[in-house]
Amino acid sequence: MAETATHTADHASEHGHETSTGLTNNKLAMWLFLGSECLLFGGLISTYMLYRGRVSDGPHPMAIFDIPFTSVSSFVLLMSSLTMVLAVSSAQRGDDSRTNLWLTITAVLGATFVGGQVYEFTAFIREGLGFSTSLFGSSFYTLTGFHGIHVSVGVLMLLSTVGIIRKNKITGNKAEVVELVGLYWHFVDVVWIIIFTLVYLIPS
Amino acid sequence: MAIIERPGTSTTPVVVTPQQTLGAVKRPVATKGWREWLFTVDHKKIGIMYGVVAMVFFIIGGVEALLIRLQLAMPDGQILSADKYNQMFTMHATTMVFLFAMPMAGAFANYFLPLQIGARDVAFPRINALSLWLLIIGGLVLNASWFLGGAADGGWFMYAPNSGPIFSPSHGVDFWVIGLQIAGVASLLGSINLIVTVLNMRAPGMSLMKMPVFTWMILVVQFLLVFSLPVITVALVLLMLQRSYGATFFDVSQGADPLLWQHLFWIFGHPEVYVLILPAFGIISEVLPTFARKPLFGYPFVVFSGASIGLVGFGVWAHHMFASGLGPVSVAVFSVATMAIAIPTGVKIFNWLLTMWGGKIWYTTAMNFAIGLVVLFTIGGLSGVTHSVAPSDTQQTDTYYIVAHFHYVLFGGMVFGLFSGFYYWWPKVFGKMLNEKLGAWNFWFMVIGMNMTFGPMHILGLQGQPRRMYVWTEARAGEGFFNLGFWNLVASIGSFILAVGVLFFLINVVITARSKQQAPLDPWDARTLEWLTTSPPKAHNFDRIPVVHHLDEFFHRKYEEDTATHTMKKVAEGEDLVRAEGDAADAHIHLPSPSYWPILLSIGVGLLGLGVVYGIPMMVIGFAITLFSAYGWVLEPSVAEEIDFEPSDNDGNTKEIAPLG
Amino acid sequence: MDTVSPVKSLTRRISTTVAGVAGAVVLAGCAQNAPQDTWKPKGDNAQMIYSLDKLVFPIAGIVGVLVSALAGYIFVKFRDKGQAIPAQSHGKPIVEIVLTIVPALILTVVGVFTFRTIMDLAETQDTEMIINVTGQQWWWEYDYPAQADQGITQPIITSGQLVIPEDTNVLLRETSRDVIHSFWIPALNGKKDAVPGRIHLLRMQADQPGIYAGQCTEFCGLSHANMRMEAIALSKEDFAKWVANQQKPYTAPAEGTLAKEGEGVFINQCARCHQVNGIKDANGKAIISAPDENVYSGAAPNLTTLMTRNTFAGAMFDMVNQKCRADVWDAKSEDFGAKYLAGVTEDCLNEKNLRAWLRNAPAMKPMYADPAKLEKTNGLYRGMPNLGLTEDDIDKLVAYLLTLK
Repeated sequence: MAETATHTADHASEHGHETSTGLTNNKLAMWLFLGSECLLFGGLISTYMLYRGRVSDGPHPMAIFDIPFTSVSSFVLLMSSLTMVLAVSSAQRGDDSRTNLWLTITAVLGATFVGGQVYEFTAFIREGLGFSTSLFGSSFYTLTGFHGIHVSVGVLMLLSTVGIIRKNKITGNKAEVVELVGLYWHFVDVVWIIIFTLVYLIPS
Repeated sequence: MAIIERPGTSTTPVVVTPQQTLGAVKRPVATKGWREWLFTVDHKKIGIMYGVVAMVFFIIGGVEALLIRLQLAMPDGQILSADKYNQMFTMHATTMVFLFAMPMAGAFANYFLPLQIGARDVAFPRINALSLWLLIIGGLVLNASWFLGGAADGGWFMYAPNSGPIFSPSHGVDFWVIGLQIAGVASLLGSINLIVTVLNMRAPGMSLMKMPVFTWMILVVQFLLVFSLPVITVALVLLMLQRSYGATFFDVSQGADPLLWQHLFWIFGHPEVYVLILPAFGIISEVLPTFARKPLFGYPFVVFSGASIGLVGFGVWAHHMFASGLGPVSVAVFSVATMAIAIPTGVKIFNWLLTMWGGKIWYTTAMNFAIGLVVLFTIGGLSGVTHSVAPSDTQQTDTYYIVAHFHYVLFGGMVFGLFSGFYYWWPKVFGKMLNEKLGAWNFWFMVIGMNMTFGPMHILGLQGQPRRMYVWTEARAGEGFFNLGFWNLVASIGSFILAVGVLFFLINVVITARSKQQAPLDPWDARTLEWLTTSPPKAHNFDRIPVVHHLDEFFHRKYEEDTATHTMKKVAEGEDLVRAEGDAADAHIHLPSPSYWPILLSIGVGLLGLGVVYGIPMMVIGFAITLFSAYGWVLEPSVAEEIDFEPSDNDGNTKEIAPLG
Repeated sequence: MDTVSPVKSLTRRISTTVAGVAGAVVLAGCAQNAPQDTWKPKGDNAQMIYSLDKLVFPIAGIVGVLVSALAGYIFVKFRDKGQAIPAQSHGKPIVEIVLTIVPALILTVVGVFTFRTIMDLAETQDTEMIINVTGQQWWWEYDYPAQADQGITQPIITSGQLVIPEDTNVLLRETSRDVIHSFWIPALNGKKDAVPGRIHLLRMQADQPGIYAGQCTEFCGLSHANMRMEAIALSKEDFAKWVANQQKPYTAPAEGTLAKEGEGVFINQCARCHQVNGIKDANGKAIISAPDENVYSGAAPNLTTLMTRNTFAGAMFDMVNQKCRADVWDAKSEDFGAKYLAGVTEDCLNEKNLRAWLRNAPAMKPMYADPAKLEKTNGLYRGMPNLGLTEDDIDKLVAYLLTLK
């Protein structure tokens, strides 16, 4: 009895023992973090929606968006959620090599998306939409840039996870670590779906 | 520290897979001196450090307040220039809100929350340390601006466009923006940590509705923070991008709407008000029952009113904007919503009073401060109702009447609650009682000083003295003996009486620290679990994790109801209960180990932030340190292996084979 | 705990304090004739708010006294007198419910009145006159669009003192040229922010002729404390006189006078920013000021009728000396109009203030006028710089400015 209690109290975070809610500490914390992130993106999206049409100078949104291109890169990001699911299920089966494979593919897809965004930004800047050009410019780059940073951090996490699993240095429950990275990754994907719809698809 | 063993039991530790920390860095192992504190992950040590840091900032913010009152004691004050005065009131508010009130509540939460729920630490001890160090770094960045070209001068609300690069050309606002973002991350991490701790790590039998009210209020506060901090973060990021990187968010010539900032700020700013007051409500909800010898009246009502204050608190932000030019319909809606929030607040006041009804009230300093809160907060709450009436508020807002209101609720409310907590829990944390005689001086000077300072401000405001003016003029002060000049002087004198009150507290702390007299284990005949262990508690908090059957578990282990008279009779002494726990101590208590990474990571983040002002190279260095620390962190198991430490010299009693963290 | 002695007189002291504070507030505690007193309404709108206050404050006061009395009773009655530890009762839901419903009912009543007042104060259908009010660091500009029914045939631009006809529903259309300011004349209405890029409406109505003080109440930077204003209500006849005077053509000072020399100094030094309507240069060409080339907000006070206003520089400084000031401010309502319309005469002029201002304006009122610190604004001032005028120039300017009325 005492031993269980001790473990419950001290190690739930590291070893996934039973907790009062049934969720491990790590997972609960990740959910809370993502809940907070929702409001972060909510604030940025609201700012963008308020300012999207305010173009005192430089190009209008609809004039420069390349919807087919962004659709493809969005599809790539969407696919990475699928490969992430495969990585999580491999990890739960304890199949390290498959896990690493899927994680790597997810990271590559994510990096492709970020690459696409970098290309898109440079194209927009060439077309005259600078960060300081207009309210639309500032809020567009801030929103999508923030998301891009989130994806980049995700890619870094994925690759680091691969490295750590390879060297067998993972602290804590391997499957859970992969799952946590997966939660974050899916969140970033879902946010992109919202951004893509609101920013690119709905005309201003 | 790692593992605490009981002699005679199996010594096989739970297997922890990884073997080494990143690179050649070995874990910190110091048990003495500054290292013990710098690298600790013990929630109690972190809590104490939060308290010390917050107290330092309380003194800094207090000195700023005194300078403000000196300047305003007489018409056309000459103590401060307009520029310095604007910096002073900006930093006074910023310091008191972000660097005193929140960290001090954090100190109590960190220290007592695990103890109140019967846990051995928080869910993420290293993140806990990270929160502390980030807060300290944020506070240093904020205040460094004083020496690097002037502090922020736009008011703590930092309304756009006055906070923009043109209207506030010094770097003060940049430091402010960076410092608050860092402090915000600290709070966010802290709040996630505490929520997980409360939801996941309660002792067996402690259902949510058996949790102490302090724990409940802290839980509500953390939820408020999780969902409001990101909104202010967005505002701060937008402002930073505008000031440092040429974004246009608040540039009206580009068509920007300055009200965007106000909405973002107050969507955070109003929940923040409850972030400040609810911990104090929690503290006195522990103190009043203890000293009235009765359980809290209507526990579920107090809990739910706290939760609903939190919830409704998200829907009333625009009452800070009644004069901002919202449409009449929004004004009406927010006006009524604001009145609605007075109801759960009123419920709390009545419940505290009814807790004492029929009790056996023991007037200690802790109790005096708690009672002070009830009375002073009521005054502040009622003046609050007068400006929930939007048309009246258009006369009152931005005058001293508002200053009076929020100092009654924040000083009379929050600060009195925190002081009540100091006196109540001091023996728990340090094993020594604060001197009650000095406590009485402390209390009465603060009560008189507080009323003298902020009471007259009601008159000043209603008679037309606006806030945030570095001088006031006799031409607008009216006539008669009790003109505005008289009341300004009274307020200034009051502020020094108040300062003397705080000084009595500091003297009390020093005297207590020097005294050799130990406090009894249960000096107040207390009610909750934190008293079911030694004072100060051992590193592992509880020798045995308690099993909870009641609200106010500790009280019910000491007392049983006499069925004939319906009074309570003592069946056990608190001290005996504590000793009994020690005799039944658990085996294999694994505690998280100290770590270099939280403090190093914080330094990295600090440099990263300063890079916004000082350029890319500093940012790169900061980023490198941050990344390095993050990897070091990830690769380091939170509980160290035994090989990291000196071997044990097992000599009998419960023995620590590794140093405490 | 032997060291802990119960504080016996706690109750009495607390109630004394409460009663003392309350008593001080209610009785002799207040300043008399405070110019910005929010409880001395002098017009319909402020009166509406005050009526609400007369409902809400007594309710709050009564609740406060009742709660304090209950608290005081409890503190005395249930102090530790050696009684047994009481039964551990956890509360009575019925009490809770009553204590929730009663405040809710009180607040509902307050809410209904509040709602009606909010709507009444937002009413614009009954407007009889419109004035555009523009804030900038750190003064107010008033721009009267032409409105025939008020006798205003061409636009009037003035600053510092807002002149309105008595008993007329004036609608202020507020905006700002730089940061957020807030227009507040407590005797006439609550405050409303002037936000750049937005137009906010504020009703103004004064029952009687008189001068009503106000102050910018949204923190607006360095000299926020020095941004004041006054509303001047005139009888309808006096207002017509004021309008006529504002619209009369410019007369240049006679040749050979000191004032004429002052006009020259004005053209050289002041006319870049400050407009005087009708002023012409030596060639007979009209001089149009270009404050946007010199000042960040793009505006400087129009000085055409400077000496009709008895304060200057954001209503900060008296243009008239103590005696004449008292004469106007303390005038009876029926005498007020004539006294105000007399303007600033040579006898009344507060020469000390005006000269000091001309000598070095930023020394009198903190402004961003240090050329070294104007990098962010591309050299544009925020406020009036030190012009480095000689005493000789100042003599001439004073003589000239006295003619502007």
